[in-house]
Amino acid sequence: MSRNLFVTALVVLAMCLAANAGTISGKVSGVSGESVVYVDVIQGKTFPAPSEHPLMDQKGLMFTPHIMVVQAGTTVDFLNSDSVAHNVFWTSVGGNKKLTHNLGTWPKGEKRSFKFDNPGAVPLLCNVHPEMAGYIIVSPTPYFATTDKSGAYKIENVPDGSYTLTAWHEGAKGQSKPVTAAGDTKADFTLSK
Amino acid sequence: MLRHRRMFAILFSVAVLLILCGTSQAIPAFSRQYGTSCSTCHVDFPKLNDFGKAFKDAGFKFPKDDESFIKIPPILLGAQANKELFPHSIWPGSIPGLPPIGLRYNHFFQVVSANRNNFNLQDTTGNPANQPFIPRTDFQTGLFSIFTAGNFGSDIAFWVDDDFSVNGANSNGGLGDGYLKFVNVGRFLKLPTDALSLRFGQFELDLPFSQARSWNLSGWDIYAQPNIGAPGQNVNNGFSLDAAAQGVELSGGHQYRGYHYSLAIVNQNTGGTPSPGNNVSPQVSFMSDSNFKDLYGRFSYRFNLESDPASRNEIQAAGATGPRDHTYLSLGTLYFYGRSVQRFSGVTTSNTPVVITAREPFYRVGGDFNFNYHTFNLFGQFLYGRDQNLLPLIPNGLMLPTGFTAGSPAHFSGGFLEADYLVYPWMMTIMRWDRVNSTADFLNGIGADQNAPPASPFLSPVSTVRNRFTPGIQFLIHANIKTSFEYQIRPRQIVYAPGTNTALTSPFRTNSAVAGLEFVY
Repeated sequence: MSRNLFVTALVVLAMCLAANAGTISGKVSGVSGESVVYVDVIQGKTFPAPSEHPLMDQKGLMFTPHIMVVQAGTTVDFLNSDSVAHNVFWTSVGGNKKLTHNLGTWPKGEKRSFKFDNPGAVPLLCNVHPEMAGYIIVSPTPYFATTDKSGAYKIENVPDGSYTLTAWHEGAKGQSKPVTAAGDTKADFTLSK
Repeated sequence: MLRHRRMFAILFSVAVLLILCGTSQAIPAFSRQYGTSCSTCHVDFPKLNDFGKAFKDAGFKFPKDDESFIKIPPILLGAQANKELFPHSIWPGSIPGLPPIGLRYNHFFQVVSANRNNFNLQDTTGNPANQPFIPRTDFQTGLFSIFTAGNFGSDIAFWVDDDFSVNGANSNGGLGDGYLKFVNVGRFLKLPTDALSLRFGQFELDLPFSQARSWNLSGWDIYAQPNIGAPGQNVNNGFSLDAAAQGVELSGGHQYRGYHYSLAIVNQNTGGTPSPGNNVSPQVSFMSDSNFKDLYGRFSYRFNLESDPASRNEIQAAGATGPRDHTYLSLGTLYFYGRSVQRFSGVTTSNTPVVITAREPFYRVGGDFNFNYHTFNLFGQFLYGRDQNLLPLIPNGLMLPTGFTAGSPAHFSGGFLEADYLVYPWMMTIMRWDRVNSTADFLNGIGADQNAPPASPFLSPVSTVRNRFTPGIQFLIHANIKTSFEYQIRPRQIVYAPGTNTALTSPFRTNSAVAGLEFVY
């Protein structure tokens, strides 16, 4: 009896929490193309790492997709689909140059994986094709979104609360701002290069 | 006066030649077509990395899956299905989606040593015209060139490069290379892949190290060495290995691993007097002065020394932090056989005036090596040249020759050794040693007559051996902009009184520092 009551209470609590989860939406202007907006570190809160491995491909001398957003703790698979040799390396994670890493070389059709624990932007490079560039944006929370062509974004299922919201765009200065999420919340960014 | 004018011209031409021999070319058209950087194919343009060598071997294509890399699709000159109609249709080919044109410009600045005007000591007339002044410093406009290259489909590659402007003047530079290359034609004979290709047109001989596409500011001396012969010899062969040749070439193998060979049949192109060629209407001219065609052959084998067998056979080695050029040792040899033509006024045995022609056999033979370890590259070339030296045979009682007889051959030897080290991807240091051993050049310098100056551009070397040491450094400002510096410690020279062996100076070197700036786009 008491056990049933406990489960019921949990369900009610979860429903209440869900009822208090809203969206953060807005627009990133001042730049063109895809931007990324994510909720920054929430003190005292951790999130389980996703189990799926998103794929970053190297095809036709390009990183595909050009920009990938993952939650911290995600393992990304790097595939070489080209018949030429590539490698993948990055010089920093979130501007921290101590986190530089080089995955080496592997042939066509094979993958190498890397788990991204540290949040921030990871600029991907290939040391034989310097024109190749890709980005993995590691979000410390599961609350992130990419913008559409107009710069609009929408982060869903964000619990009510006070957060720091960060916008990132390739080649632009990142921008963070405090936001209090309650239901549907608006937050716009104007970025500059 | 003639001698001084000639000296002035020669000295300057030496300087300019030293500067401009390095007619480097990278191919921005390929960057556009594939959307990739120059460094995909070049170490320090135009020096090719292993992938660039494979790209060239394949006929200016990616060696595998070329279509998947092209960002600008080619224009089809006929649907592929037309192949099934052949011979009742034209075999379908293609042209690049954008005209594959690259342009190049360079500019130079040089500083020559203080003793650069020593040769004016030979003049005692006091006539300023006989004592031209060579400035200590000089800015020089180099080349503005166009080059186009690519693939027409069906493994037919093309290349044309031409100089619009040379030394700031208008289009007097002329054609460099212009050819079609039918890659892997051996497939029609069921030969192994890439065992046989065919090139037709005007091209630089398949030298171990391309002088036409050298990354150095100055060319390698031995490749530009003619064989003029000493006083008393009848050799006047202006041929040098770096000259463009017209003909056909068979080749096979790869530059990035295993064997490579080439066999070329090319026009004779000597310093002899060309035939006039004006007796055909409409008038035609000739590139050559002989029916005989010169022959050139080269064979090399490259040992890739990577310990991992899989990596060893790839185009580039799989380094720990990314693909890189292999550690390798390449050994090669070359041989050129030709005939040098000279025409003289002669007589028949019955003393009837005729033109007699010396068709003097000559050959050049050499060996080369190329060793690479990561970003360090050491390579060298040895070359030996020999000309038969056919002397005019003047029978007793006649004033003019009736024919020729073999004399003491004229020969030279030498080579170069060069070490390149890539300090950073954008900075390469170079150390070179050029050496030429020519007794004829030495004797010509001593015995130079005021009215018959030596043809050798080295004027009066102190000895038969000329050594040149050339440290240098090159910086890529961008992948397509390069600035280069060379300090040439040039061979020792000496100035003699005209027509005598009385030295007017102590031995000296006309060292020079050269800076170059070039860009391609």
